Amino acid sequence: MAATRMEMAKLKRKQIGATTKKTLLLAGLLALLALSFIGAVMKGAVSINWWEAVGVMVEPFSPEPFDLALSPVHRDILLQIRIPRVLLAAAVGSSLAVAGAVFQGLFRNPMADPYVIGISSGAALGAVFAMLAGIRLSLAGLGAVPLFALAGGILTILLVYSMARVGRTVPVMTLLLAGIAVSAFLSALVSLLTYYAGEKLHLVIFWLMGGLGGATWYKVRLIIPYVLAGFICVSIFARELNALLLGEETARHLGVETDKVKTTLLVGASLLVAAAVSSSGMIGFVGLVVPHFIRLIAGPDHRFLLPASALLGASLLIATDTLARSVIAPAELPLGIITAIVGAPLFVYLLKKRKKLRYFGGGG
Amino acid sequence: MGLKIIVNGLELRYGAYPVLDGVDFTVRRGDLLALLGANGAGKSTLLRCISKILAPSDGQIRLNGREARFIAAREAARLMAVVSQEQAVDFDFTVEEVVRMGRLPYLKRFQKEGEEDEVLARRAMEMTGVSHLAGRTITALSGGEKQRVLMARAVCQEPEALLLDEPTANLDIGYQASLLELAARLNREKGVTVIAAIHDLNLAVQHFDRFMLLAGGRVLAAGRAEEVITAENIRRSYGVPAFVYRHPLYGVLQVSVAKRPPAGEVDCKALRVHVIGGGEEALPALELLHRAGLSLSVSPVSIQDSGCRFAQFHRLPVVEVPPFSAITDVLHQEHLQLIRRAGAVVVPPVPFGEGNLRCLAAVEQALKEDAVVFVLEPAGISERDFSGGRATELLARLLREGARPLPRAADLLEAVAGRSQKL
Repeated sequence: MAATRMEMAKLKRKQIGATTKKTLLLAGLLALLALSFIGAVMKGAVSINWWEAVGVMVEPFSPEPFDLALSPVHRDILLQIRIPRVLLAAAVGSSLAVAGAVFQGLFRNPMADPYVIGISSGAALGAVFAMLAGIRLSLAGLGAVPLFALAGGILTILLVYSMARVGRTVPVMTLLLAGIAVSAFLSALVSLLTYYAGEKLHLVIFWLMGGLGGATWYKVRLIIPYVLAGFICVSIFARELNALLLGEETARHLGVETDKVKTTLLVGASLLVAAAVSSSGMIGFVGLVVPHFIRLIAGPDHRFLLPASALLGASLLIATDTLARSVIAPAELPLGIITAIVGAPLFVYLLKKRKKLRYFGGGG
Repeated sequence: MGLKIIVNGLELRYGAYPVLDGVDFTVRRGDLLALLGANGAGKSTLLRCISKILAPSDGQIRLNGREARFIAAREAARLMAVVSQEQAVDFDFTVEEVVRMGRLPYLKRFQKEGEEDEVLARRAMEMTGVSHLAGRTITALSGGEKQRVLMARAVCQEPEALLLDEPTANLDIGYQASLLELAARLNREKGVTVIAAIHDLNLAVQHFDRFMLLAGGRVLAAGRAEEVITAENIRRSYGVPAFVYRHPLYGVLQVSVAKRPPAGEVDCKALRVHVIGGGEEALPALELLHRAGLSLSVSPVSIQDSGCRFAQFHRLPVVEVPPFSAITDVLHQEHLQLIRRAGAVVVPPVPFGEGNLRCLAAVEQALKEDAVVFVLEPAGISERDFSGGRATELLARLLREGARPLPRAADLLEAVAGRSQKL
């Protein structure tokens, strides 16, 4: 069927408008991420100038060595403490935000968050177990806790998935219910272990509250493969996820192989959550609020929602983590507390404003 | 364009319970087929088997000659578009975004919709009359608007067949008609095969050319309206007595479900009541008495008038008069016979003219023989007297001679019951 030239031209103008707005928004989010990154690297017990911060990051990529006039102490603080921490914050924030968006879409439930089907409880159980048993792995000398947390999360999702499966299909409602049941069971186990934690209680409670203290390059390297794999899995089927929002049968009528798509999305999002929880404990609200915020201003199209959520989630977690470690410096607050304290009122504000915020594509 | 669908020995069981129990039929290219049947007859299940949502337990479905189960989801989505009952959508997609999703089966991975797709979406919205809603969010629309948007998406999908599953279930009568007209238009202009599961038989008859009636997971009847929509078929599939007649304006078949008498409301079943005359004005009285479970007789009625149809449908004793004829002596005697066998006579507010004046004479005769006569709404006689005042005069005489006036028809049952208790 051929379209007339007039029709094409008219459409083109309209399309360019919407696309430009979305591109601009993405660019803005990218700039926000860069700013919060640099800002976070500068802030802390020792203040560091922005040119030093940027210089350290640019240096390895520069073809010619350049004179940075940076003290070795500052260089170590940047390279060994702050940069890995901020990178970890970015990875965790974007993982949680994207996983939240995917779970909300998959379950067609705006209240879903990354922890909804119990991955976090499994990860927590793994982590608490590793702490209490005092397991020391020879893997680079440290890091039994994140490894056990990661394994716990992944085992949980396998368990929930196999419980919910009926033949070749996985009904999302069963998945949700199985997840809630498993999550409750594992949480009880975590509480039980906590009860017997003894002198390690402090350690366990702090881990459960969530935080990025003790971020190292090791942790970053541990989770990056999972985060990347997760991002790839979910972004392949962003468009199919749109169709799934209209209902599973509708999606199949539109040619989506729903079983394959659901499984891939589930695996991807679970990897993201397991990676995030294993390195930072349970950080609430990022996964719930960020996708909603993006949806409110730009609609639910996942082809835009997923990358935008990743960028905003990363920026938000970098910012809140900086707050967490500077409010009562040199001590730090648990990050999970800050995200909830900042996140909840922000969320309520967004809900009140929702009509006005939708500035393109909609507003009915 | 136009999908050809052949279904052979299709069976689908949920556990041991068969929902479809050997369904065979063929849908030709460009057919406009309505799928009828009671709740649970298997209409939706059949459509969901064709659209590959459900995998049949046995039998096969061929789409354009190829077996459906070997057709990939994407390709099937280019052959068939489905509109089912309105579903809740909780996320704020715009109408345009929803319609554009119809292009999904044509796009490669990561491929963006091209200008061609945009134009098709726009045209689909124009055709279904939702262009003005393009930027609105789907959650903000009414049920009728939403259903049109889903229809627009189906059009945008450029299918060879359109499967509609109770598409009009939640719509008002205006939207119902326009949605089915749209389906018929796609069928006519683009040769799209249309299959629609539909509950409303009268709506189906107005918009479709072929019909298939399912009952108990099998095809009970298929073909033109006259072959499928019969009182017998409806009784067998829906389990209700129905009355099939022609629409007064369009001449298409119409179906009315007969009300079933409630058990034991009035204790006067032994009594036979005779009701005078045909015409629609007699129907409320007939219906009232019939539902109370009284045995009735009617006369005289013109062949094919409302009273005659009522009597034939319920198999009541009746005296039939040929149309536009006067009551002959023979018929008059038959009429008197019926009256004499009844315990009460009711004169409903029917119009009187030269043709049926003689039945009032029969009532007068009955009064002389001590019959109990009720005259409904006697005050209105002047407006329905087409005999130059003679009917008014006769009716007044009946009342003087002992017929009881009943100003409200609703009191009839009580009056008749009172009469029965006196016996």
